[in-house]
Amino acid sequence: MNKRVKRLALGAATATVMMMASLGPAMADTVLKFISWQTDDAGTGEWWHSAIAEFEKQHPGVKIEFTKAERSSYADTMTTLFAANQPPQIVHLASFEFQMFADSGWLEPLDPWLKKDGIDMTGWAGQKTCEWNGETVCIMTNYFGFVMAYNKKILDAAGVAVPKTYDEFLAAAKATTKDLNGDGIVDQFGTGHETKGGPGQYLTEMLNYIIDAGAYWTDKDGNITIDTPQMVEGLTRWKTVMKSGISPVDMSASDVRKLFADGKMAMRMDGPWLYGTTEKGTAKSDIVYAVPPLTPPLGGSSNVLAMPSDIPDDQKQLVWDFIKLTMTPEFQRTYATLGGNTPPSPKADVSGVEKTIPHFPVLLQTMKAASEKGIDRVPIGLELYYNEFSKMIMEETQRMIIQDLDPAEVAKTMQSKAESIKG
Amino acid sequence: MTDTVRAGRRKFFDLARPSRQHLLGYILIAPAVLMVAAIIVWPLILAIDLSFQQVKIPRLGGASRPFSLSNYTWLFSSEEFWLACWVTLKLVVVVTAGSVAVGLSTALLANNRFRGRTVARLGMALPWAVPEIIAVVIFAWMFDTSFGLFGWLAIQLGFSDQMIPWVSSSTAAFWAVAITMVWKGFPFVSIMCLAGLQSIPSDYYAAAKVDGASVFQRFRWITMPLLMPVLGVTLVLTLLWVFRDFSIIKVLTGGGPLRSTQTLSIMTYDQAFQYHNFGRAAAVGVLTLVICIIASLLMLGRRSKSIY
Repeated sequence: MNKRVKRLALGAATATVMMMASLGPAMADTVLKFISWQTDDAGTGEWWHSAIAEFEKQHPGVKIEFTKAERSSYADTMTTLFAANQPPQIVHLASFEFQMFADSGWLEPLDPWLKKDGIDMTGWAGQKTCEWNGETVCIMTNYFGFVMAYNKKILDAAGVAVPKTYDEFLAAAKATTKDLNGDGIVDQFGTGHETKGGPGQYLTEMLNYIIDAGAYWTDKDGNITIDTPQMVEGLTRWKTVMKSGISPVDMSASDVRKLFADGKMAMRMDGPWLYGTTEKGTAKSDIVYAVPPLTPPLGGSSNVLAMPSDIPDDQKQLVWDFIKLTMTPEFQRTYATLGGNTPPSPKADVSGVEKTIPHFPVLLQTMKAASEKGIDRVPIGLELYYNEFSKMIMEETQRMIIQDLDPAEVAKTMQSKAESIKG
Repeated sequence: MTDTVRAGRRKFFDLARPSRQHLLGYILIAPAVLMVAAIIVWPLILAIDLSFQQVKIPRLGGASRPFSLSNYTWLFSSEEFWLACWVTLKLVVVVTAGSVAVGLSTALLANNRFRGRTVARLGMALPWAVPEIIAVVIFAWMFDTSFGLFGWLAIQLGFSDQMIPWVSSSTAAFWAVAITMVWKGFPFVSIMCLAGLQSIPSDYYAAAKVDGASVFQRFRWITMPLLMPVLGVTLVLTLLWVFRDFSIIKVLTGGGPLRSTQTLSIMTYDQAFQYHNFGRAAAVGVLTLVICIIASLLMLGRRSKSIY
C-alpha cells in the first residue's frame, strides 16, 4: 500500500512539474527576435532602440530581443538562420542581399498588409527596389546620397579650392598627397577608397567615377552595358586614382574613415554614416561637408525591413506593427534628428534638423539628386547574381591595375563575363 | 514479481561477468560514438547528399532535389577549381616545408642545454598559444600596404624604395599568407619534435661519438631515423591544418588578389556564402575531404616505411 501511495505521489509530482513547464512559455512574454548590424551604430542604433522602446510600450507583454551581428558576417548569419529554419521574426537586410531570400519564397509579401492599413508608398525613396516578382517583400529603411567631406585646413594649406569636377578633384587630391616627415612613406592622402571590404564595397567605391563618366553596369531593362566608351572612361579614372598613389590601398572602410576623421586625408566621398566617425575624430573642427564633385552623386538603397513568410499569423501582425511604427512620420523625423539619416518617407518633417546636423541639407540634396536619376548600387537584372557579378568586376579591375591593362579591353572582358553570369 | 524473474534480470545485466564485459565497454563508449556521429558523421552525410543536388540555399527539413552530377561536372570543368587546387598545393608544400624547417631547427636548438633554455622554449611555443584570429589581425597590420611594419622595414633597409603592396600583388599576397601560416604553424612542429628528441637515448649519441661520427652524421643516422615516427604524424597534421585553414587567408587577403590565395576552403566558403551555391560548395568540400584522405594515407604509409 505504502509503495502504491509513493508511486502515485511521485506520478502526481512529475505531472505537476511537466504541466508547469508547459505553461511557462505561454505565461512568459512573447519575444520577437530582431538581428541587426546597427545595434550600436552612433545615431542609427539609438533610433532603433527608441523604436523598440515605443513598440514595447504599445504592446505590453511583447519584447523585442535586439541582437547584434557584425556587418562583415551578417549575410552569412542570416543565410544560416534561414537555412536552419530559424529566421528572426523581424528581418533586417541590406538592400543588395534580400533578393536571394525573396526568390526562395522566404519573405512575406507585404502588399496585403499595406493595403489593409491603407498605407500609400508613393514617393517613398527606393521602395521600388523592394519589389520582387511583382510583389512588395520589404520596406526600404534607408535611401541615401553620397556627400563629399573635406578637410578645410589641408585644402587651404595646399592652396586648392573645393573641387567641383572630376579633373579638379584629381588635381586637388594630388596636391594634398604628401610625405610630411620625409621618411619615404606617404602619410597624408588626397582621398581614400576602401578596397579591402569585399567586392560589393569595391564596386561602390568605383561607381563614383563610373557614374560621373556617364556609364553604368546595366540599362533599365537589365541589359549589360559595360562595353561602352563611357565605361572605358570610368575605368580609366579609377585606374588613374588607384595608380597615382592619392589613396591608401588595401584598407577597410573603417580605417579609411578613421584616417580622414583624424586629419590624414583631404577628401572623402561617403554616405551619411561618415558623420558618426568624423564627430569622434581629432580633425572634427576642420571637416566640412559638401556636394560631391562627381555627378550625379552615388546613392541608393541601403537597408530594408521584412518578415519571414512562415512564422505564425499572430507574430506576423506584431512584426507588421513594428515595421509600421518605424514608417510613421514621427519616427521618420527622428530617423533624421536622432539617426542623422535621410528618411525615405516623403511625409517626414525634417525642418530644423540642420540645427543639430549642420550638413543635413546637403544630405537631402544628394539623396534627391540620386533618387531623381534612379541611381542604385545594385544593377537591374543582376540582383540575384550581385555577389558573383561584383567579384568578377573587382577581379577584372584588379587585373587591369596590377597588369596595367587597357581599360577598353577590360570593358570588353567584363561585358562578356557579365553576360555569361546573367546566363 | 517473483524472486526467480528478478534474479534472471539481474543475471542478464550483470556486466561484471567476463562474458558480458565487452558490453560494458560498448556502453561506456556509446555516448562518445553518438556524439561523434551527431556532429561529424551526420553533417558529412548531409554534405555528400547536398553535393549531388542542384541547390542554391538548402533548408533544414526541406524537400530534397533530384540526384544530379551537375555540381561535379561544373567543378571539373571550372578553371576556378583547378586554380584553387594549385594554390592549395603550393601553400601546402611551402607552409609544411617552412614549418618543418623552422620547427625542427628550433626544437634542435631548444633540446640543447644553455642558459635561458626555459625562456627559449616558452618563446618557441608562444605563437601556438596566441589565438589565430588575433595573430592574423596583427600580421594584417604588419603587412599593411600604406603603413605596415614590413614595408617600412623594406624601405629603411634599402630593399625597396616604396611600400610593398602585400595584399594587392599576387606574388606578395601569397608570401604574406605563407609567412603568417609558417609563423603560426611552426611551434606545433617544434613541440612535437622536441618531445621526439627527448625520447632518443643519449647512449646512441655517446656511442656514435666514440666511433668518430660527426655532428651531421649523428643527425643523419641517429636523430632523423628515430624522429621519423613523430615527424611523420606531425607532417600529416600540419598538412591537414594547411588544407583546412580558413581564417588566416580570409582575414589577410580574402583569397585575392586575382584568386592568387584562394584555396579550396576559401572556394567552399565563397560558393556557399557569397554565391549561395550550397550544392557546389558541398561538392568542393567533399573533394577536399577525398584529397585530404589520400594525402594522409600516402604520408602515413611513407612514415611507416621510414621507421627504423
